[in-house]
Amino acid sequence: MNYHQYYPVDVVNGEGTRCVLFVSGCEHKCVGCHNASTIKPDSGHPYTEELEQQILRDLGDTRIYRDGLSLSGGDPLYPGNLNDIGRLVRRVKECYPDKNIWMWTGYTLENLTDAQRDVVRYVDVLVDGPYIQAERDMTQPWMGSRNQRILRRSSGDLFE
Amino acid sequence: MTDIIKRDGSCQSFDIHRIIKAVTCAMNDAGLRDDDFVGTLAEVVRHTFAGKATVDIYDLQAKVENLLMRSRYKNAARCYIEFRRTRDIERDSRNSLNREILGIINQDNEQILNENANKDSKIIPTQRDLLAGVVARHYARQHILPSHVREAHDRGDIHYHDLDYAPFFPMFNCMLIDVEGMLLNGFKMGNAEIETPKSILTATAITAQIIAQVSSHIYGGTSINEIDRIHGPYVGKTFDKHLAEGLRWIGDEEKAKAYAMERTEKDCFDAYQALEYEINTLHTANGQTPFVTFGFGLGTSWEERLVQTSILKNRIRGLGKNRKTPVFPKLVFAIRKGVNFSKDDPNYDVKQLALECASKRMYPDILNYDKLVEVTGSFKTPMGCRSFLGPYEENGKLIHDGRNNLGVISLNLPRIALESNGDEQYFYKLLEQRLSVAKDALMSRIHRLDNVRASVAPILYTEGACGVRLKPNDKVSEIFKNGRASISLGYIGIHETINALYGCDYSSDTEGQHIYDSEKLRQKGIALVERLRDAVEQWKRETGYGFSLYSTPSESLCDRFCRLDEKEFGIVPGVTDKGYYTNSFHLDVEKKVTPYDKVDFEMDYPPRATGGFICYGEFPNMQHNLKALENVWDYTYDKVPYYGTNTPIDSCYKCGYEGEFAATARGFECPSCQNRDSTKMSVTRRVCGYLGQPNSRPFIKGKQEEVTRRVKHL
Repeated sequence: MNYHQYYPVDVVNGEGTRCVLFVSGCEHKCVGCHNASTIKPDSGHPYTEELEQQILRDLGDTRIYRDGLSLSGGDPLYPGNLNDIGRLVRRVKECYPDKNIWMWTGYTLENLTDAQRDVVRYVDVLVDGPYIQAERDMTQPWMGSRNQRILRRSSGDLFE
Repeated sequence: MTDIIKRDGSCQSFDIHRIIKAVTCAMNDAGLRDDDFVGTLAEVVRHTFAGKATVDIYDLQAKVENLLMRSRYKNAARCYIEFRRTRDIERDSRNSLNREILGIINQDNEQILNENANKDSKIIPTQRDLLAGVVARHYARQHILPSHVREAHDRGDIHYHDLDYAPFFPMFNCMLIDVEGMLLNGFKMGNAEIETPKSILTATAITAQIIAQVSSHIYGGTSINEIDRIHGPYVGKTFDKHLAEGLRWIGDEEKAKAYAMERTEKDCFDAYQALEYEINTLHTANGQTPFVTFGFGLGTSWEERLVQTSILKNRIRGLGKNRKTPVFPKLVFAIRKGVNFSKDDPNYDVKQLALECASKRMYPDILNYDKLVEVTGSFKTPMGCRSFLGPYEENGKLIHDGRNNLGVISLNLPRIALESNGDEQYFYKLLEQRLSVAKDALMSRIHRLDNVRASVAPILYTEGACGVRLKPNDKVSEIFKNGRASISLGYIGIHETINALYGCDYSSDTEGQHIYDSEKLRQKGIALVERLRDAVEQWKRETGYGFSLYSTPSESLCDRFCRLDEKEFGIVPGVTDKGYYTNSFHLDVEKKVTPYDKVDFEMDYPPRATGGFICYGEFPNMQHNLKALENVWDYTYDKVPYYGTNTPIDSCYKCGYEGEFAATARGFECPSCQNRDSTKMSVTRRVCGYLGQPNSRPFIKGKQEEVTRRVKHL
């Protein structure tokens, strides 16, 4: 997997103070994509064990409190990303069961593959659906178009 | 016949008697008399210029000077030159006074018109105030300031703040009004005797009147310390009144109570709405909306909580049909563990409301109770935007309300660094000299008030705003002694000072040139402020006056010092090249760091500059992420006493966009619909400790430049 940016302290991608990783690779190719430069899977820099260690360290930082990790892109559920993202979310939940994981994906929850579902099991808030230019709406927090949904985990399942 | 061309360009024919008269005067001044010599000298002058059609007055005077100097009457020469010089200075300053007055009439003197972003210089009452200011400044410079102080101010070594008011008028700077005492004990204002109010609506109405009066008698900010504690009892009276009414009409006690609570909540909300409108529509004798600050947050009773939530809900609502962000009063919300800091605290819900309010309206700024007590010795609201009093006791009890600040003199630190050419030892030597001038300047402020009687400002001295009830003929100076009032040394531009002293080649790979990146330079900055602190401590011991060190906000000073230094030293990279100097100890506004790192960088300064400070962070829109804002607020709790959140809250009345407008050469512009009509937008920026609305009242140039360069910290 490749990634574009990692922000160790961020407040504009999900609730609270967060670590944010923007990965490369996306097959939706939405018109008007906010992060078009991240679409190609081989763009950006290779994701390394070192970076993963840093993310885990940053989440546990005692000086600056982090509410959790945000995964965006690109698409974290792009098939080529599932291995690395799956390992990352598992390790985050093992180390910090109380911290939450937010994820932005262009797939919809109902149409996820089994492999994607395995990853999403660890996600607390899923913002799903492709970006549709005609439904653009900048007034709603955390999403770009009205078709998208903010799904929050409650007693095991994700609900709008 | 020879014509003399005078200084104003007019001509006058040569008259030998004028020369005889001038030289005789000079001889007189030197205690000499020799009519023959004077007559001969005048003849020589006449002869020298006899063949010429016109002669410049300067050439003529130079000739007289030369002849006198070559004569045996050297002292007469000295007197003649001295007299000419004095006349020249007087003439110059008369011209500058005229120029400044013309600048107001013609509306083209930016320095005067935009010096204070809170003054609308287009309107007549403000122009009257500006005119009074120009004359007061002129007179004070000529006749009140000691000459070395005046020269240091004119050169820009120091800044004698607020010269347009004091010392010409015996006014002081800012204060905490003793509203509690005034409401409890009653007072006289104008033609009316005011008694203790019987409801919150009356209490807030009277408070507005007090603020208007007080603000016309002092030149700095007026603050109300713990307004929830002060107004709480009047909320109680309102409740009692409604309860009695409820019992009379409803009978059932439970229902009557519920009725009384609902009515009181509505009254309280309305009362603070009226107070907010009142303050924003007031125009004081100083030609501006009063600089008012409300401190609140610590009260836990039902009444006090109601005051807190009413203030915040009104602020969140905004002013008028466009729901515009008010810039006054400034709101300062106190946070204290056990009161409102964490989820189990009784007022945690009010903290959440304060967070929402800050995300939408920038205010409130926060006071961290424990840190403030640790740093300044006791808890109190800042006077104006950032001036803090030290502890002071009367009869074994800490007193804050009714106390004041006598004024500020600020040092131009970057200038001293530029003059030192990187020589630290020389820098500290020069600093000693400047400190001594600053002390003289501060003492001149104190002495101006020495023989002033209470009748000069009844509202302050005889009716209770200063917490005392003096008789009209009493001298006021007693209440400023023994640390009851503070008087402050200010400083500006630690960032530029460090750059000027130790270099600023940020492009080099070896880290450590920017003060933020170098532990060594950080220590240098702290050591410098410590030296200033030691100076004021020493003055305090020597004089008994409450000298304190104040981190100058420099709304217009950031521009003035830099402009003067650029004239003298040229464009020096990292020092004079930006058109402004950085606010006191603040981190360079262009340095991109997280708010957490900025707090860490700045936290060492307030404990050393206890007379005045504030720290800020620059945030993106936080309206949907109050939790993250709370994380930062919580982080500051045990690090800095006083923290402000700068966040984009501009709004476009044309398209409804809310966020950050772009500052363009043609004014502010809506990023969504490109609207540039300044009457159809609300643009709010932090000017100093206060907010300002630069779309309607432009900032001074250097401040505008600084605002444009600010980077977001997240």
